[in-house]
Order: sequence, then structure tokens, then C-alpha cells
Amino acid sequence: MRVQDPADGQRPDRAGIASLCFASLGLAISIYLTVEHYSGSTALACPENAAINCAKVTTSSWSRLGGIPVAVLGLAYFAVMTLLVLPPVVLPPAWRRHLLDPVRAAGAAAGMAMVIYLLWAELFRVGAICLWCTAVHVCTLGLFVTILWHTAARSTATGHSRVKG
Amino acid sequence: MLLGVGLPLVLVVAVVAALVIVKVATGAGGPKSGPTASAAAGSVVAQVTSVPASVLNEVGVGVATTKPTKITAPALTADGEPRVVYVGAEYCPYCAAERWAMAVALSRFGTFTGLGETASSPSDVYPNTATLTFHGASYASNYLSFTAREIQSNQVVNGAYAPLDTLSAADQALFTKYNAPPYTDSAGSIPFIDIGGRYLISGSSYSPQVLQGKTQTQIAAALADPNSAIAKAVDGTANLITAAICQITDGQPGAVCQSPGVVTATAALTG
Repeated sequence: MRVQDPADGQRPDRAGIASLCFASLGLAISIYLTVEHYSGSTALACPENAAINCAKVTTSSWSRLGGIPVAVLGLAYFAVMTLLVLPPVVLPPAWRRHLLDPVRAAGAAAGMAMVIYLLWAELFRVGAICLWCTAVHVCTLGLFVTILWHTAARSTATGHSRVKG
Repeated sequence: MLLGVGLPLVLVVAVVAALVIVKVATGAGGPKSGPTASAAAGSVVAQVTSVPASVLNEVGVGVATTKPTKITAPALTADGEPRVVYVGAEYCPYCAAERWAMAVALSRFGTFTGLGETASSPSDVYPNTATLTFHGASYASNYLSFTAREIQSNQVVNGAYAPLDTLSAADQALFTKYNAPPYTDSAGSIPFIDIGGRYLISGSSYSPQVLQGKTQTQIAAALADPNSAIAKAVDGTANLITAAICQITDGQPGAVCQSPGVVTATAALTG
């Protein structure tokens, strides 16, 4: 497998593009949820039944963490992650170092930990699932997988090059 | 590389699957009981039932987002007087919001006794919204008749909110017919308010968000401050309800129906 190295300033590999797509989509949905949060969740486009109820989730006491709306935390998270996974040609030179790979991986892992916490809260505390939140969770999972894939692929490539070199 | 991606992914999937399995197996997270209703504090009742006219005039329609809907239906009366019917439930957060405005508006036409206080369900949308309850309350007026039914409490019994008031056969028929399309957007929503067969309210007229985290005492006190978000929502809605009621009382009492706040609301209602 050939993996292009962002440190070289070349085009990103497929995992890098996928990461950017997941981060961007997560950012867009987080912006929507943040707007809805501050508008009283009166126009949240979401089906409603016994199991699915976006407003029930987004207006519950579990929609805040440390007093900060979870939607805002999600927005901040995806904004940072989007910057971190920008294509190498866009990133500042210092960001193209391999040193940032652990930061991206840690960010992705932290995001997954948050997803598991929020899923627990939805299932066992609120008693409803928010489809928009689930979409954000899927984006986080996608980001997690693609960042690990990207990092692992580059580690493999770097290892090969060292062996060859 | 597969190990680097696959192992964390398998762990995540395993945790998520475990959460879902436990949820399905235990059925945890169902409805939860709110506080048992009790008599409303005298100071709260006094503030809600005597919001200064100057404040109501200044607020106008405030930030009420939904106006009563005009309908064409037979006049709703009781003993020759125009009748207002309210159907709600104590667990319901939208009812919790609308009751404040109902109490403010109806107090301009008559007198409540026995108002209670409670909160909406802690496990529903806008949890624990502080409110009054019409269950057990009575209302006397020279201008209209008011029937209020809280059909379920906020107490969970066998996994569901316990039944409370029952509707008469006539009111059940009214609820079934007019609380459904084409009169309302969806069937069976609460709160449902029929104002003399002339206007309907289905759902709350403002977002319960404005009441979040507030106690009955705080909400009642805020009603007299025209600059508060609560007054703009509750008093604004109360003016719209008042304007709708004035349509069925032939503009009586004049001091209420001709007041600037109600005139503004009437223009919004009929405009």
C-alpha cells in the first residue's frame, strides 16, 4: 500500500479526505444543533415517537456538561478536528509534522468516549434517541476510524521506509 | 495496520452493543414521576391572578409564537354563557407553559380558587417545568364558563402517567373532533383549548424553554416585570388568549377588552 505523507506537502490520501468529510459534516450538524439549542429547539426537524425524540434529548438536563451546552461542545470539537485534518496543502507547515498524529488520534478517541457517554445518557437517563445527535455520533465514529486508519497507514509506510532506507 | 484500526473499532462497537442490549433487556429510561401537586402558595396565586394592567399593556403580544386559531364551529356554551374548555395533563411541559398564561388571562374575567402547583415530568421535553395545575381548582365568572381537565397526573404508575380527570362524553367528542386536522396540525395534542367554539389552541403558545430552571415563585414574580423574558412570553400569550375570549364575551368586560394590550393582541389575532 502506498501512503503519501502529509509532511511532504503532497495531496492527502483517501483516509485524510474521509476524515475531512466526517469532520466537516459533524461541524455542520453541530452548528445546526447549536442554533436550535439557542432558539429553544422549536424548529428541530426530527420525527417523534416513543424511542426517537430530538427535543426531549436536546432540552434535557443531560444536554449540558459543566453548564455548557453539549451542542456547543460538539461545535468546538468539530471545529478543532476539522482544522486538524485539513489537507496538507492547506495546513500550516508546523501542522504537517507527524507529531500531530497523536493529537488527532487522541482527539478522535476523546470524541468516541464522549459519544459513548452521551449514548448512555440518551438510553438510560433521557429515555429517547435524538437522530441529529446520532448523526453527529456517526461522524465521530467515522472520524475515529479514518484517523486511526490514516495514522496506522502512515506508521506502516514510515516503518517500511526505515527498513528500506 | 488492521490491528491499529480494528481493535479500537471492535472495542467501540462492543461497548455500544452492550449499552443497547442492556437498554433493550431492562427497558430502563421510561417515564419518571414529577413532584406531587400541592396547593399553590398564596403569594404565587396573588401574583398570577393580578398581573398589573400596565404591565400587560406594555407587553402586548410579547414573544408569543403561536396565536389562537380561528375556527368555524357551533358556539360552545354552558348555561347560556360562552364556554372555554382546557384539556391538558400535569406531566406535559407544553401544558405547564400554557397554564401560566391561561391563569393570567382567565383571572381578568373571573376568580380561581384551589389552584395547585406542580411541575412537568422530569423525563420529558423541558423537564421539571414549574407550573400550576387546574386539577381540583374551580373558577367563577360573570362572563364565561371554564372547564379544565388534567387527564393525566405527573405520577408514574405501572410505567405510565396515572389518569386524573375524565372528560365528559360531550367534551371527549369535542376533543376528538376539533383536536385533529383540519382544525389542528396533528390529532390529540395537549394542551388543547377551545375558546367558545371560535378559537383553538393546540400546544403551547411559547417555548417552555423560557421557564427552565425557574420556580413557581420566580415565574410569578417575573410576570410583573414587562422587560423579563417570562413576562414577554406568558403575559403576551395571556393577552392573545384574553383577546380571543373577548370575542366570545361580546367585548366584556370593557375595561379588559378595550385595554391597549388586548387591543394590540386583537389586532394580531384578527390581522
